[in-house]
Amino acid sequence: MKWLIAQFRRRLVSILMLLAMAGIWQILSTIYTAEAVPGEPMVPGWQIVFSRTLLSLSDYWQGGLGVPSVAEGAPQSYLAALLSILDHSVDTIVRLYVGLLIGGLVGSLLGMAVSWSPWTRRIVDLPVQLLRTLPLLAMVPMFQLWFGIDFVGKIAFVGYGVGVIFFAGVVNAVKNVPQIYIDNARTLGASRLQIYRTVVMPAIFPEMRGTILLSLGIGWAAVLGAEYLGAQSGLGYVIIYSEQFAYLDRMFVVALIFVFYASISYAIFDRLSRRLLQWTPQAGRVVAHG
Amino acid sequence: MARAADGRDVIVASNLSRTFRRADRQMVTALDDVTFGIDRGQFVCLVGPSGCGKSTLLKLIAGLMLPSSGALEVEGESVTQPGPERGMVFQQDSVFPWLRVIDNVEYGLKCRGVGRAERRKSAEFYLERVGLSHVARAWPRELSGGMLKRVAVATVFANGANVLLLDEPFGAVDYVTKRNLHDVLLALWTEAGSTERRTVVFVTHDVDEALILADRILVMHSGRIVDDLAVTAPRPRTTDGLMEPTMVRHKHVLLAHLGLENLQGDAKAPTGGEGTEP
Ligand SMILES: Nc1ncnc2c1ncn2[C@@H]1O[C@H](COP(=O)(O)OP(=O)(O)O)[C@@H](O)[C@H]1O
Ligand SMILES: [Mg+2]
Repeated sequence: MKWLIAQFRRRLVSILMLLAMAGIWQILSTIYTAEAVPGEPMVPGWQIVFSRTLLSLSDYWQGGLGVPSVAEGAPQSYLAALLSILDHSVDTIVRLYVGLLIGGLVGSLLGMAVSWSPWTRRIVDLPVQLLRTLPLLAMVPMFQLWFGIDFVGKIAFVGYGVGVIFFAGVVNAVKNVPQIYIDNARTLGASRLQIYRTVVMPAIFPEMRGTILLSLGIGWAAVLGAEYLGAQSGLGYVIIYSEQFAYLDRMFVVALIFVFYASISYAIFDRLSRRLLQWTPQAGRVVAHG
Repeated sequence: MARAADGRDVIVASNLSRTFRRADRQMVTALDDVTFGIDRGQFVCLVGPSGCGKSTLLKLIAGLMLPSSGALEVEGESVTQPGPERGMVFQQDSVFPWLRVIDNVEYGLKCRGVGRAERRKSAEFYLERVGLSHVARAWPRELSGGMLKRVAVATVFANGANVLLLDEPFGAVDYVTKRNLHDVLLALWTEAGSTERRTVVFVTHDVDEALILADRILVMHSGRIVDDLAVTAPRPRTTDGLMEPTMVRHKHVLLAHLGLENLQGDAKAPTGGEGTEP
């Protein structure tokens, strides 16, 4: 309890800011009453979002678990709405993180290959640098034709979008590893593989933090982009489906769900990386007290 | 000037040269046709003004770079790459900031597959010797500059190198700490017994430091070895010992080489010097 109060006090200003943003939205919704189509306000107020809109998400529930779907003739229900949010979220999140993992791994390995030896540099550098310049969103249709509109196509697309960012980040960060640490490891008897594992990887991590955060953002954009164009499930599918009927309020709710997930993944990553970065001089730095 | 190599030498350099091509396209000769041999177990100090090629020579011995011409052998084998038998303490801080102090000291042993218990024991032993047992679990960022140097020294000793290359290791350390570090270094070096002593090449531009530490002082100037002094004063070398006539003479010679003195009185003029080398 004490801890909760302390947390609350520490975050009081942030909480107030959040409430203020929600309040402004509400005020906007009463001032600006235009509608996209009759009955669909451009700026849906919270009273609509938390009742009609939420309930309407049960339209996207495909049935199962003993909860019948709207398509089967059942009325809209909050339970079906919740299940449908979870169901579509899981699809999107799995696509996102499998893609992130594969893209991050492949991109990092290729990035390190650039500094591994003159030969690996010659083989890897130019082709990947060229791939990197391809505009991501323009590639969505091509990926669908190449890899199909199912799981593989979306994973490949997210992996590609994230991979090229990791590649650039790693290449750049490795360049900044101080020579002294590599020399030190070599004189202590480390092999090249050991140097990459025990010197290069920890040394580039602080710089890679920014890259990883960026790739989380790009990853979300990529998975939604892939879902817009041909998916039968996922949050991107819900948005595109809503757009066809100008259901602005539903899109707004899905956007809020994104914010929620993104905040969680940023928070988790922050905690993890803080643990991994205990050694940095910046750990626990404050510019001024107060 | 430097004595030519003979059979007992651990390090043998023959007509060793190294040139660099600077970014402005000028060629710099950092090491110019150097020939010398260093005995097993000797504590050799390399003295000379900055830019005279000391670090270059050390990096060549370490195998961190290759000579432009000439030959360099350690333990009878040509040096082509770094190896754990040649440990180096760098002029800059080289302690890995992402490893705790004790993990730094264990690093080389771990790389070479020494078992966990054994390497921990060795690391603890050397940390204790350099007086840092109490910060074994600390992060390097929590240590002072002098403490980091001690970690680096413990690391190369724990790694079991036969040849220790120290590049101005205590250059940026305050006087008191420096004297303490000399004691630590000499204790680690002497306790092995004169037959198993490690060979040390210690770079410095501090004349007193060289006189306290060295069996032998090689003086460098513009990429050449211009003098070779045997320092036979008994150890441990006390302040009084440094005022013995032979030591004072050595000091005059060294200062003259550094261009700080013209030799007068009973001090002998330096016999080496640029251009007079045979
Ligand atoms: N990597 C390098 N590139 C170009 N010039 C270098 C390089 N390393 C050393 N030098 C030059 O070689 C000479 C000797 O340098 P160094 O061995 O570092 O001297 P010291 O350690 O005695 O101060 C200097 O003139 C320096 O500018
Ligand atoms: Mg130097």
